[in-house]
Amino acid sequence: MDNRDPFRHNVLTSGHRACSGCGEAMAARMVSDLVGPEAIYVNATGCLQVFSTHNQQSAWQAPWLHSVFANAAAVASGVEAALRAKGKHTPVVVQAGDGGTFDIGLQCLSGMIERGHDVLFVCYDNEAYMNTGVQRSSSTPHAVRTSTSPPGQFSQGKHEIKKDVISIIAAHQMPYAATATIAYFPDLKAKVEKAMRIKGPRFLQVLSPCPLGWAHDSGLSVTVSRLAVETGLFPLVELEHGELTGVMRIAEQKPVEAYLRPQGRFKHLFGSKAGSVELRHLQALADARIRRYGLLDADTQWTTESAMQSERHGRGGYAGEQA
Amino acid sequence: MMPKLEIEPGSSAVYHTGDWRTRQPRYQDKWPPCSQVCPASEDIQAWLALAAEQQWQAAWRKLTDRNPFPATMGRICYHACESACNRKHLDSAVNIHAMERYLGDMAIARGWQHKPYCDQPQAQRVAIIGAGPAGLSCAFQLARHGYAVTIFDAGVAPGGTLHSGIPDYRLPKAILASEIDAILALGIELRLNSRVGDVVNEAALRDEFDAVFVAIGTQQPRHYPHADHSNHSLMSGLEFLHRLNRGEPVALPKQVAVIGGGNTAIDVARCARRLGAEATVICAHDPHGSHHRELGTEMPASLQEVVEAEAEGVQLIYRAGVRRLVRSGEHLSGIEIAHVDQLHDRHGNFNPVLFDGTEEFVAAGLAIFAIGQETDWQGLAQLSQASEKEGVWIGGDAAGKSKLAATAVGSGYQAAMSIMASLKGESFRYGEHKKSKVTFRDMQLHYYPKQTRCEGEMSEQRLEGFNEVVKGLVDDDAVYEAKRCLSCGVCFECDNCWHFCPDAAVIKKTGAYEIDYDYCKGCGICAQECPCGHIDMEALK
Repeated sequence: MDNRDPFRHNVLTSGHRACSGCGEAMAARMVSDLVGPEAIYVNATGCLQVFSTHNQQSAWQAPWLHSVFANAAAVASGVEAALRAKGKHTPVVVQAGDGGTFDIGLQCLSGMIERGHDVLFVCYDNEAYMNTGVQRSSSTPHAVRTSTSPPGQFSQGKHEIKKDVISIIAAHQMPYAATATIAYFPDLKAKVEKAMRIKGPRFLQVLSPCPLGWAHDSGLSVTVSRLAVETGLFPLVELEHGELTGVMRIAEQKPVEAYLRPQGRFKHLFGSKAGSVELRHLQALADARIRRYGLLDADTQWTTESAMQSERHGRGGYAGEQA
Repeated sequence: MMPKLEIEPGSSAVYHTGDWRTRQPRYQDKWPPCSQVCPASEDIQAWLALAAEQQWQAAWRKLTDRNPFPATMGRICYHACESACNRKHLDSAVNIHAMERYLGDMAIARGWQHKPYCDQPQAQRVAIIGAGPAGLSCAFQLARHGYAVTIFDAGVAPGGTLHSGIPDYRLPKAILASEIDAILALGIELRLNSRVGDVVNEAALRDEFDAVFVAIGTQQPRHYPHADHSNHSLMSGLEFLHRLNRGEPVALPKQVAVIGGGNTAIDVARCARRLGAEATVICAHDPHGSHHRELGTEMPASLQEVVEAEAEGVQLIYRAGVRRLVRSGEHLSGIEIAHVDQLHDRHGNFNPVLFDGTEEFVAAGLAIFAIGQETDWQGLAQLSQASEKEGVWIGGDAAGKSKLAATAVGSGYQAAMSIMASLKGESFRYGEHKKSKVTFRDMQLHYYPKQTRCEGEMSEQRLEGFNEVVKGLVDDDAVYEAKRCLSCGVCFECDNCWHFCPDAAVIKKTGAYEIDYDYCKGCGICAQECPCGHIDMEALK
C-alpha cells in the first residue's frame, strides 16, 4: 500500500506505464480519488487498463477488475446486482476509453443505463484508439490525422464528425450525464461529487488529451484541454433526465486555431487551401456547439474564468482527506 | 481455499518510472520584479502574503526587516515596485505603496515596537553622521544586531530631508516622528545640533568609534549659473521648503515661478499654491515622453505628483529654459523663457541650447530655483577621502546619484551589513539579486481573476492648508489589495502541480510540495500550469 501523500489516497498510484504527460492517467487519478478507495472499479480494455496493470503490477489501490473490451458495463451491472442482493452499498464505477464507450462498449452501456443499474460510467475520451497505435474511433473529431485517417492528396484527415455521445446517453432519460475535462478540477470535482450523490445510472465524459496521439508537447495536456473548452469545441454541460441543466459559460471565446495549433494531429490543415476550408469547418462546428448550448450567454456565474481561479492554499482537495 | 497464482500480483509502485525522464521539474523561489527594483530591497511578496492572511504584525515585521519607515515611504516613495508589478499585464499593479502605508499607520496606532535580533551587546561602537533615511536605516540595523550606535546631526530634529524637505500635505511630521522614535527606542544615541566638522571634530570621531558611516545627504542647493542668488527675489527650493518645514512665515508675491523638473520643484509649487500664490513650473523635460531623445533623461518628478499638482492649479510649462530674468529696478517682474533643445553639452556641462524666436514671458515676483542639490563636504575633508578599509563608509545621497528616500534606506541597510561583516572580520557579499527573475511570460496569468485596484481617496478642499492630500486604505480594501498580489515566483500553494501530476509524483506536505523523482516522468505539466512561475524544467544530461 502506498500512502506517501497525507492529503490524498492515490487510488491510481505511481509506477503506472502511461506516457509522459498522459491526460487519461491524470483524469483517472482525479476521478478515482474523488470517488474514493471503497468503490469497485470495472475497467474496459484500453490504454488505462494496459498501462495501469502491466506485468501483474497494479497501480490500483482499490478493488479493480477487467474483462473484455465490449462488456465493461455488463460486468458492472452484474457487480452492482450482486452487491444489491447482498444488501451492500459499495459504489461501482466503470472506466472506459472512447473506444470502449462510443464504439465497442456502446451496446452494453445502453443496456446498463436502460436497466437502471446504480453505476457511474466514466468515459476518458482521448478521441482515438491510442493504445493500439492511434486508429480513428467514432469519437475522433473531424479533420484529425490518425493512422487510419491519414491526410494526403484526397483527404484532410478524418472525414466524419465526432459522435455526439452525450446526447445518445441523455436520450435514455437517465438521471445524470455530464462532460468535464482535466483543466478544470473544481468543475470535475463538483460533477463527480454530484454524480455520487445520485442513485441510478450516471455518465461522465472526461476529455483527456493524449500527447502521443494528439502530437502535442507532453507539458501542454492541461493547456490543450482548457483550449478545447474555451474554443467551444468541447462544451462542458450537465444533462438530467434528458434536459440540459447546466453549462460552463465561456468567458472569452478563443478561435479554434488556438486549440489546433499546438497539436500535430491538425498540422496538415495549416498552409494549404484544402486545409483552410477544414479550419473554417472546425470553427463552424465550434460556433454551432456554442449556439446549441448557449455557451456565451448562459445565465450562470460558472465560467471558464471563475472555474480557473487559483487560490492561496488550494482549490479544494479530495473526499476523505486525511488532514 | 484459493489456488496460488503462478505470478503474484504486486504494486506498480515497485517500478520506478523516474528513469524515463529527460528533463525534470524543480521548485525555485524567485525574486519578484517588485523586490528586484525596490531600492530598499523589501521582500514585498512576503509581507503582502502575510497581510493577505491578516497577520498584520508579522507583515509589518517582515517589511521593517528592510525598511523601518513604512508609514513614511508608503506616502512619499515613488514606488518603482508598482511600475514593475507583473499584475499590470492582467489588470493594474497592486497598490503596494498604499499597503505599506496601511501597515506603517497600523504599527504607529497600535504602538508596535521593533525587536532586536540579539540581546547580547557587541563591544564595538559605530558613529553615524546624518540622521536622514540612510543614517537612521543603518543605525536601525546595527542597533538590532546589538551594536552601540551614536548619530550626529547638524539639525534641530532628526529625519534629514524627510523632515526638512517634504511638505506636510505629503508627509505629516507626526508620522515621521513616530517612526523615528520607534527606531531610536532600540537604544540609539542621537546628538542633535552636532555638526561634524564644526561642533564635533572628524579626527576625534574616528578615534572614538570603530566605524563611521557618513550619510550627510545633499543639503547644498545647486545654483543657477547665470543668476545672482544674493538677490531677494531669488530663492532655492530647498531653502523655501526648509523655512516652511521649520514653521517660519514665508511671504510670497502674487506670482511665483519655479524652475526645475524634479520633485522638489513640484513640492515648492504645490506649497506656493497653498500659501495663496499662483505657481508656474518651468521645466526642461516633458512628463509625457518618458525618455527624451534630445534631453536624454526622463522628467525626474513622479508623474503622480505632477498630476496632483496640475489638479491643484499649478501651471506647468514643459521643454522650456530660462533666457533671462527680467527686472524692474531691484524687483523681479518675470522670466523670459524659450524652448530648450538641450540642457547639457556632450561633456555633461550645463550649457542649455535655447531656440531663438520661441521666447515667452512668465510674470513672477519671485523665482525659486529647484535644479538639484549637492553634498556639502565642508569640514569633512578626511572622511570624504577615507575608504571602507579605514573604517569609513559613505552612503545615501552623499554617495551616489539617486535622490530617492528608499535608495537611502537601502544604502543604509547595505552599509550596516558591510560594517558588521567588517567588524567581525568577514567578507561581505550582497546576494539577493542573484536569485532568478520572473516575468509575466513565465507565469500563467489566466489562473488569476481580474480585480480592480483599490486607491486611497483624495481629500477635498486641498488648497486650504497643509493637511494630507491622499487618504489611506480602509481595512477591507487592504485585505483585498494584499490578496491581489500574484506572488510572482513564490509558491502560494494553489495545488495545481499536485492536482495535475498524471503520475502522482507530486506529494503535498503541510505548507509545501515535494517531487518524488522515483516516479516523475518529466512531462512538464506542473511547470506549465504553475500560475506564478515557481517551477523550472531543467534538462538532464
